[in-house]
Amino acid sequence: MGSIAVIPEIARVTFRQLLGRRRTLLLILLAALPVLLAVAFRVAGQTDIERFSHRVFDTITVTILLPLVAILFGSGAFGAEIDDGTIVYLLAKPVPRWVVILAKALSAMVLAVALTAASAGLSGLIDLVPAGSDGVLATEAQILAMVVGSVCYVSLFLALSLFTRRALVIGIGYMLVWEGALSVLLPGIANLSIRQYAMGAASAIYKLPADTTRLSSDTAFLLAGVLVVAALVIATWRLMRFELPGGTD
Amino acid sequence: MTTQLAPETVPATQPASAPAIELLHAARWYGNVVAVNDISFSLGAGVTGLLGPNGAGKTTLLHMLAGFLAPSAGTVKVLGQSPHRNPSVYRQIGLVPEREAVYPFLTGRDYVKFNARLQGMRDPDGAARAAIARVGLEDAMDRAIGTYSKGMRQRVKVAGSLVHDPQVLLLDEPFNGMDPRQRIAMMDLLGDLAGAGRTILFSSHILEEVEQVGTEILVMVAGRLAASGDFRAIRALMTDRPHTVTVRSSDDRRLATTLMADPTVFAVELTPNGLSVQTAQLGAFRRILAGSSRSAGVRLLEVLSADESLESVFDYLVGR
Amino acid sequence: MTATNPAAAPTPAGSIYDLGYRHYEGKRNGRFYAMWSLFVESFRGVWGFGRPMTAKAAPFILAGIYALPAVIQLAFSSVIAGQISAGKSVELFTYGTYFAALYVFVFFFCVAQAPELVCRDQRYQVLPLYFTRAMGRIEYALARLGSLAAALFIVLLLPTVALFVGDVLMQPDAFKAAGEELPKALPSIPAAALIALGLGSLSLAISSFSPRRAYSAIGIVAYILLMEAIPAAIYSIGQTSATTWTDKLFLLSPVTSLIGATYWFFGQPIDPQYFQGSLAAADYLAAAIVAIGVAAAVLMFRYRRVPA
Repeated sequence: MGSIAVIPEIARVTFRQLLGRRRTLLLILLAALPVLLAVAFRVAGQTDIERFSHRVFDTITVTILLPLVAILFGSGAFGAEIDDGTIVYLLAKPVPRWVVILAKALSAMVLAVALTAASAGLSGLIDLVPAGSDGVLATEAQILAMVVGSVCYVSLFLALSLFTRRALVIGIGYMLVWEGALSVLLPGIANLSIRQYAMGAASAIYKLPADTTRLSSDTAFLLAGVLVVAALVIATWRLMRFELPGGTD
Repeated sequence: MTTQLAPETVPATQPASAPAIELLHAARWYGNVVAVNDISFSLGAGVTGLLGPNGAGKTTLLHMLAGFLAPSAGTVKVLGQSPHRNPSVYRQIGLVPEREAVYPFLTGRDYVKFNARLQGMRDPDGAARAAIARVGLEDAMDRAIGTYSKGMRQRVKVAGSLVHDPQVLLLDEPFNGMDPRQRIAMMDLLGDLAGAGRTILFSSHILEEVEQVGTEILVMVAGRLAASGDFRAIRALMTDRPHTVTVRSSDDRRLATTLMADPTVFAVELTPNGLSVQTAQLGAFRRILAGSSRSAGVRLLEVLSADESLESVFDYLVGR
Repeated sequence: MTATNPAAAPTPAGSIYDLGYRHYEGKRNGRFYAMWSLFVESFRGVWGFGRPMTAKAAPFILAGIYALPAVIQLAFSSVIAGQISAGKSVELFTYGTYFAALYVFVFFFCVAQAPELVCRDQRYQVLPLYFTRAMGRIEYALARLGSLAAALFIVLLLPTVALFVGDVLMQPDAFKAAGEELPKALPSIPAAALIALGLGSLSLAISSFSPRRAYSAIGIVAYILLMEAIPAAIYSIGQTSATTWTDKLFLLSPVTSLIGATYWFFGQPIDPQYFQGSLAAADYLAAAIVAIGVAAAVLMFRYRRVPA
């Protein structure tokens, strides 16, 4: 369809919205932390370096970096436009709504994947890859987890941001309470946890030693796919009915 | 240009085709608040001012026309189609929203080009250049919009909305933040577009803005259409109505006798706060007052016209 | 509309009209009153009073969830008492461990509400409206901090009250039980004050650096979670390489040091099950107090410099 041609145009604007100067620097610092720790392990001459690398991946990269970055970009892709009122300029165009959603989602996904996968990939390159073929596979699995996780978080919180202005805070609550506290208490939550989808999907390449992987890779891919499609369809449906607040504000 | 309250009659100037904008008993409410209440009118080519005090429902009406809000009752049609959930209609609609925000990081040129590309235009660069020239923003087009003044921002929004040469242009408070010179330029531009057969509807809460550009106006008060038609006719109806003016002077009693002799005055009341004078023509009364007081040897202390705000004018229109 | 007729009242080239505005000649209450007013207004704002229902949802739901387990324990106190008298061991929430078990909700309360307090004033550039009044920049910062800390204090004490009532009801002689329970419960008050100040000053200091709520919220979460995770990661290296100083890094973890400090108030040694390394409760208390000082100083520093 010809309307797909506008996706790069919307993406260009979205990138600029999501990447302010100071906040980009902070996000890059956040993504650089696992890499710095990886370097620290290497320099410290650890014997048990792989175990530590996996530990950093489990406790920082997957549980903090990935959801924070992806939720921020996912909820911000429309959130900033809705707050400023600039969404009018997107809506008053003869562009099918699913194209607008796709453009926004892809932009946020590209940024989230770029940051998180780079972080996981570099850390793996420093600490895991030198250990041999298992290390290469483990690094690839970690990158895949970042990609699957980013795509899922972005889709879900992009959709939510069209329903409430507090999508980001809800996202943080989801990450802290649902995936953090409750999933320890209730293992059944695995089916409804993006972190589990990401880890499960990664196990298609390599069984990461994280004790939290509860889903098979097939199940994880299936659930992640259902989530992404459902979220984007709902987002399109919502955008078609999106009503601008009338009057002055 | 036709403005009519009775939509059943087809405008004389466009006998064959449907009017560009057509509302039939359109209403919109939010919960218990009625923002637009049973409005019907149709517009063809020309410039029409949508006039009303803040909160009258102008933005809601424009948003319904722009397809961002579904009417709660009645129908809204632009170029014969319902604009709600119908993105293809935006090929023919240009919208200048009231909010000032424009992507601050884009240059003026990039912003207008962005609009051209999203409209699917063949030559976005050429179209953008032409639109920027129309609003006279060539000098600033390569600066980031974040550095623009309010008036420039309004103009770049207008350039973005007419880059695809839409048949219908909707502008929400377009003259906000413009200086008088820019305002005249913008009015000339709107006039040119109207002359080329475009339908232009702009909103304003300032009477004087409309006076200079809109020959036809719609007046909205509290969600309802209070008046419509030629601006001068309505203006006359608004001004040539009973006014109450309070006058304080050194000798109210003597001034009262002099004023009663004047034909524009039809009642004078002596109150502790001064004279309460009822007049049919405010302008004429003002001119006479100075002469009468001088001839009566009375010193004027204060002249207070109680009901000259736009709201009171609208109240008057609605109250009739 | 007022118009003085120039013909009747000839005036020189310029004049100032008295438009009838009243002059204020009453007492002026000064900066402390202004600060108190902002404190009260902010405190209402944290809970969403005077704002739409949607603004009340987050604070009330979070405070409610945080108190819920204690309330449930209270509701089932007779059942629990029966089990204890039947000789079964029942694991209960206690005053000293409640925050450690459920801190995530208090943390989330800060993430949701601290940005609400300070970000919009910068975003919509209304700070000059405050600073040109009797209030100064420091007073503004202190009033906002005080209101968040006061709100957190209430959130933290609610479950303590429920636990206290539950513990008293579990015993046959309520009056005697109350007398016995009170000394056990009282340390909750200074502990709650410390936690409220600790989380409040930290989250407000971070929030004050961004005019957008989204980025403030992300900043709070990122800082706290990373400062918990990084020392843990480094400590685990230190353990294998026989380095001894790495456990000192836990003093930088905001939540860990606040939890550690509560043990000091309750006069208990810290639980080695949750705390690695050789640090004592008093160390964590000192760290928490220093952290509050630093966060408050950063907040003041920010409001000295913030463009108004």
